[in-house]
Formats: sequence, C-alpha cells, structure tokens
Amino acid sequence: MKQFIFRNSTVENLFGTTEVMYSGYNDIHTIDFDADLYIWFYMLPVKVNRQLLCEEIHSYYQDILYIREQIPSNKNLLVFTLQNFLDFKYLSGDFSVEEAVSSFNSQIAELAAKQANVKLIDFSRFTKKYASEQLIDWKYFFISKIQLNPKISKTFHEWFNKELDAIQLKRKKCIVLDLDNTLWGGILGEDGITGIKIGGDYPGNAFLMFQQFLIELEKNGVILTICSKNNEQDVLDLWEQNPYIMLKKEHIAAYRINWNNKAQNIRELADELNIGLDSMVMVDDNPSERELIRQLLPMVETPDFPEHPYLLPQFMNSLTSCFYIYSVTKEDLLKTEQYKANSERIRESKKYDDFNEYLKSLQIELKIDTANPFNISRIAQMTQKTNQFNLTTQRYTDTDILNFVEKGDFVYCLNVKDKFGDNGNTGCLILQKSENEREVIIDTFLLSCRILGKGIEMAFLNTVLNIMKEKGYKNIQATYIPTLKNIQVKDFYEKAGFELVDSGSGNKIYRIDLEIRTFQTDPIYEIKL
Amino acid sequence: MKDRILKVIKETFELNKVDETVSQKNCEKWDSMNHLNLVIALEEEFDISFEPEEIAEMKNFDDIQKIIEQKVR
Repeated sequence: MKQFIFRNSTVENLFGTTEVMYSGYNDIHTIDFDADLYIWFYMLPVKVNRQLLCEEIHSYYQDILYIREQIPSNKNLLVFTLQNFLDFKYLSGDFSVEEAVSSFNSQIAELAAKQANVKLIDFSRFTKKYASEQLIDWKYFFISKIQLNPKISKTFHEWFNKELDAIQLKRKKCIVLDLDNTLWGGILGEDGITGIKIGGDYPGNAFLMFQQFLIELEKNGVILTICSKNNEQDVLDLWEQNPYIMLKKEHIAAYRINWNNKAQNIRELADELNIGLDSMVMVDDNPSERELIRQLLPMVETPDFPEHPYLLPQFMNSLTSCFYIYSVTKEDLLKTEQYKANSERIRESKKYDDFNEYLKSLQIELKIDTANPFNISRIAQMTQKTNQFNLTTQRYTDTDILNFVEKGDFVYCLNVKDKFGDNGNTGCLILQKSENEREVIIDTFLLSCRILGKGIEMAFLNTVLNIMKEKGYKNIQATYIPTLKNIQVKDFYEKAGFELVDSGSGNKIYRIDLEIRTFQTDPIYEIKL
Repeated sequence: MKDRILKVIKETFELNKVDETVSQKNCEKWDSMNHLNLVIALEEEFDISFEPEEIAEMKNFDDIQKIIEQKVR
C-alpha cells in the first residue's frame, strides 16, 4: 500500500522508505495522486518565537482542507493530532501555544467526524508513554532535522501499524477469561461465594475495576467468554448470590466451566461462536495455562497477566489495543445477543428430526438491499473480517465500496432475521460490470459464519442472479480464490450450477448462462427486496 | 571490536556480507538515512554517544573503528 506523507520535519526514520513517498517540508502543493493512503504528520515546529509558532499552527487547518480537496475522494487522509512537548515558555501564564494546539486538534476532530475519508490518529497515545526529554534528541535534530528521537522510531513504527490496523478494521474479536485470581481475588472453590475478593478494599477494588472495564469492552462489540477450571454450579450460584460481581452471565456469550483441558475448551468455544482461533485473546493469571495454549493453539493471543492486582490498569490499556478499532457498527454492538440466540437455535435444531421442518419453523426472512449510507461501513467490515465463507477474500474499505457504487457496479447487502432475532447485515455480493456489456463478474461473495448451515447462501445467490437476469445480463462469471481458511467453499459454485471454465492458475473460474436457467428460491425463505 | 562493528554494519544495512573495505562510496545501502541508523545502532552496541562532528566523519569502516577506539579507551 503506497503511502504519501505530508510532513514538516525528517520522518523517514518513522515511516521507512519502501512504498512511502514524502512531501517536502511544509509543502502541500506537490502531491502524488497514485498513493493509496495520505498521511498528515506534522510535529510542533521548533521555534523560539511563540507568536510565530502560533501563527504557523493556525495555518495548518487550512492546509489540511486544501489537501483534502486535492486528493482523490476515495482515498483516506490520516491526520495526526499535534502534540506539544518542546515549546519555549517565557511567562508561566502564557498559554497561547497550548491554545493553538488544542484548537487545531478540535478542528481536525470535527473534520474527521464530518468527512468519511478523514481519520484522526491521536498521537498523544504514543507520546504520553515518554517524558519530553525522551521524545526529542537535540543532537539528531540539529544534524538531520529529526524531531522524534530516532531511538524510539522502532516503537513508533509498531504503534503506528496497530493504529493502521484499527483503521482498516483488523482486530481481535473475543476474550477468553479465566475466573479465580483473574476476575476476582482468591479461589471460589476454596474461599466460597462470600470469601472471594471483589469490590471493597484492595485487592477487591482492583478486580472490580477490571470487571467494569470488561463490561465496557463488551458494550463496544468485544465478545466475552469464560474458560475456567471450576464447578459450573459454584459459578452459577456466585452470579446469583454475590451482589459485588458486576460481570454477569448476560455479558458472557459462551462459557466452558469444567475440568477439561483449556485447549480443548477454547477450540470448542471458537466452534460454538464460529470465529477463528486467531481472533481470540486468552486472559488467564496462570502461566502454565498460558504456556499450554501458546504451545497447542499458538494463534490465540496470550498476554502475560499482571502479577499484582494493582497493575491491572496498565494491563487493561494494553488489552484495549488488541480490540481497538476506529468506530463500531451496529452489528458489533448486537453481537453477544446474536451469539446467545445462535446457541438457542442450535438447541432448537435438535428438536426436529427433519431439517427442512426445522428451517421452516425458524421463519427466516432475507432482506436484500443495495449499498446505501447505512450499510456501507458494515459491508466494508464484512470484507475485512470474513474468512471462511468468502469466495475471493477481497478486502475493502468504505471508500472502495463507494467506488463500486459510483462506477455503476452492483453491491448487495443481505440482512437475515428469524424468530429468534435479527442477525443484522451478514452477507454481501459485489458484481462488477465487464467489458462485455452482457456479462457481470462476481467480485465478492461472502456470508458471515453465524448464519451458515441454513441454505441461505443459495437463496441469496439465486435471488441476485434473478435480478441480473431481469436487468438483461446473459452471463455471470465467478471466481474461487483459495486461502487457508475458505476451503469449505471450494466447490460452492459447482453446487450452485456454475460451469468450471478454468482452474489453471490455482483459482477456479466459472461461468453460468442466465438465459437457459431459472433460479428458484425455496419458499421457506421470505425474500424482501 | 572489528567484528562487532562489521556485524552492526551488516545488520543495519541488511547486507549478505561485509568486510573492512566498506565505505559510503562503495556501499549502495549507506545513504543518509541508513547512516543515521548505523550511528544509533553503534551507540547502542558500544554504549557510547557520538558528537555531531564525529558522525559527519564516519565515511568508511576505518573511520568508525578509529572513532570508537578513542571513545572506549
């Protein structure tokens, strides 16, 4: 991904030189229009004259507005907030520089809230880890106009990549929690319901804060699960009887409270929730349990748990960075509800001998929308996060999706509901026009795992094929691009009646003739267009 | 000392092999940004701090070795 960086000092040590282009210092007029991503990274200028310094800061906002107008509207502009760690202050009551900096920062925050392609990066999240004399090494400043100390450039690089992942929606989805000495002090089986330490004085107050923090994560779309060696009944009783436990059963999407080995349990949790092991983070105070998971399930993240409860806040801070995203969608917020409803559906399915009867009883409703301002960010998110039922695994941002729409390509978003609840937007199909004007190409076809196993994929595809037929297209071309995770769909298009025309390059290319085929969807699905 | 310096140069510039003849003139990777990275890596390796004048003087392996020898002595 080619980046173009607007800067006012030497920053090659921070962003590197491969796939990165730089503006001149303070230059906003030479812009590379082929970049994929634009970044505004200005350091507070080194000026001993405070008035000149303030004037310069005040001019930045106009520069950013100018840049935004110049760059392609489908490309993102990341703007770093300004941080003041090196101004020269002559009067202790003079706050002019502080004011200029904070007014700039609120202006860009407002801009980012209004403009979808402007994103803010809070630079203070990095700088606050250091004292101001660590942030700048004047020797290097005078030798090569480097402002951020080159000795911390590696840490900066790592931090920035995490921020970038957050903006591109890559993140972990689920926490697997231990209980004893993790959510409270002491051991439930030995200390009893009233004997464990939660709330009140130290260390109970530290664990309470940790529980409240986890509840906030859950509100922001993180899935909470429990994997603990305990008697299940003891924990259920605790939830009922101890009023100080804030993190309750309703916050937990799924749990394994038993004496089986944790690797087995975590694997089961991943299956039950239909998420990848690599999207899970294990939080466990027991180093040998963490080691077991590191060896058996290395894709699960296993951060070290603090040795003292008073160190929990630092740990919380590092945990948020695993789950940090730029903003949440409605689907994220409903997730725990949906996962719980899913387990109910599974239980329900066992009641029916005939699978079709079961499907009928679910009263599945499929709503198919074209892309619109309300679902675009969700569509982009699905392309980023869906791995298993994803035929081509193309990753897109909001602006990419907008591009398809603007070019006249077809973007369909699937919403699935049944009697247990609303699954939200859980599928998407993107069809691109081809050079042959009677043909369209399926660029992306994906479904979220949580709605699989009900034949919805076929109903969705057939409905869209019919729409294409009605629009007068004669041919559809489709592709399967194999990845490590999408093997389950390798023969999907064969099953859907497509004809394999080429598989030479490892990818499978298909075609289907719309004219000689009719596409029927089973009446058990209620389709709404 | 010689081996430690060469190792730092090799790692900083990501070279396959390196010897005492290496200089800014004959090594493509030795540009101004990598020069700085090299200085920082050497400061860390030998736990020393170079003066700006010294940094400007380090044009080849011999220069580096001379400057470091003076410092660690």
